[in-house]
Amino acid sequence: MRQIFNALLKYKNTSLFLGLLFISFLIVNQRSFYHKSVFSAIGLGISSNLYGVSKGISDYFNLKKINADLVKENNKLKALEIIYFQNQILKQKTLDTFNFEVTSAKIIKNSFNKANNYLIINKGYEDGVMEDMGVISTDGVIGIVNETRAHHSSVISILHQEIKINVSFKKNGAYGSLVWPGIHPKKMILDDISIINSVSVGDTIVTGGMSAYFPFGIPIGVVSKFVQPKTEGYYQIEVDLFSNLTQKEFAYVIKNKDLDEIKKLTGDVSK
Amino acid sequence: MFQSNTKSFLQFILLILLQVFLLNNVNLFGFLNPYIYLLFLITYRFDNNPTLLILIGFLMGFLLDLLSHGAGGHMIASLAIAFLRPYIIQFSFGVNSDISMGMVRGTSLSNRLLYLVLMVFIHHLILFIVVYFNLKSISIIFKYTLITSIFSFILLWISLGFFKTRHD
Repeated sequence: MRQIFNALLKYKNTSLFLGLLFISFLIVNQRSFYHKSVFSAIGLGISSNLYGVSKGISDYFNLKKINADLVKENNKLKALEIIYFQNQILKQKTLDTFNFEVTSAKIIKNSFNKANNYLIINKGYEDGVMEDMGVISTDGVIGIVNETRAHHSSVISILHQEIKINVSFKKNGAYGSLVWPGIHPKKMILDDISIINSVSVGDTIVTGGMSAYFPFGIPIGVVSKFVQPKTEGYYQIEVDLFSNLTQKEFAYVIKNKDLDEIKKLTGDVSK
Repeated sequence: MFQSNTKSFLQFILLILLQVFLLNNVNLFGFLNPYIYLLFLITYRFDNNPTLLILIGFLMGFLLDLLSHGAGGHMIASLAIAFLRPYIIQFSFGVNSDISMGMVRGTSLSNRLLYLVLMVFIHHLILFIVVYFNLKSISIIFKYTLITSIFSFILLWISLGFFKTRHD
């Protein structure tokens, strides 16, 4: 203990300088948006590389389970392929009119226990991933791309209190927005559903076509509980997600081919 | 002692006000602002407490950034120059570095020039690096550092002359 104090006294100027320098960088980070973005880009670069290494090690031990999953998915795809060849001409037409492109990616960092959660995926702008693209998994929505580097991107999870996803009821198309209250990683709140629509427990919720991020109709979850208010005009609905966001390995990035046009129309090109 | 502290304090306030309300509006050739507030960090007595100078440098830069809506360039630059000052003094004055008013009298002209040039150049370099904070703009950082350093140097040299006559 005494030696530590002696060392601190001996290098008091250096340690004071380093301490104040650290405080200065915190202040700079607070005061300037430009510096903040540079810092966060550096941080993303470092953390994505570190998580990549640790993920590589832990993946090695999960190979068996992943193989089993892949075999299962291959079987499913094989069946689909057979059907596809049967309807090839019809499918091609559908693909041409479909406005979204899909890129697969791997999640190398996932978080779900904070109030605002982010993920990192292993595809960046050199793979065609750009900001504001939607990210989905095999059974639901994961989030929206926030920032991209050459080979990595950070994704705002739907488990983020400031993100709202446009969703609608599968049965009648009534749409509202889905937000996360920040407690349980499978429970979300559905807002803005007017009481003129009928709601019952067990109704399926899918993504709505009103947002530019996701195509219409990706299943998200079911209604687990709802309260019908007497005076106000909107239901309070609780939704159980299908997908378990705490155990995700792979993701698909969705690119809306018309995003630029839509942004121009809404006057949001500056972003 | 008390009198010299009061004098230093007034100098500190005066230099900050001068910098923010007068020299930051000079904009010579559209972008050049000489930084006179370095005078305080340069003329701080060599035998005074260097730890205190680090705190003063930090405070000075912080106040400048607050008043001139800067991001934090002055804060980091003046903090760094306050920390580096003993080494610069050692380097430029050598054996004479224990003369307490060495920057205005008692030392040779070349030593004093070297000291002033190093202080000004290093401070401006750090300042512009923090302001631009991007490897791609390295050429513009050096250009601005060089040109602004020349103007700050001239201004500081003249001010040091006043300093000398006042203290004699």
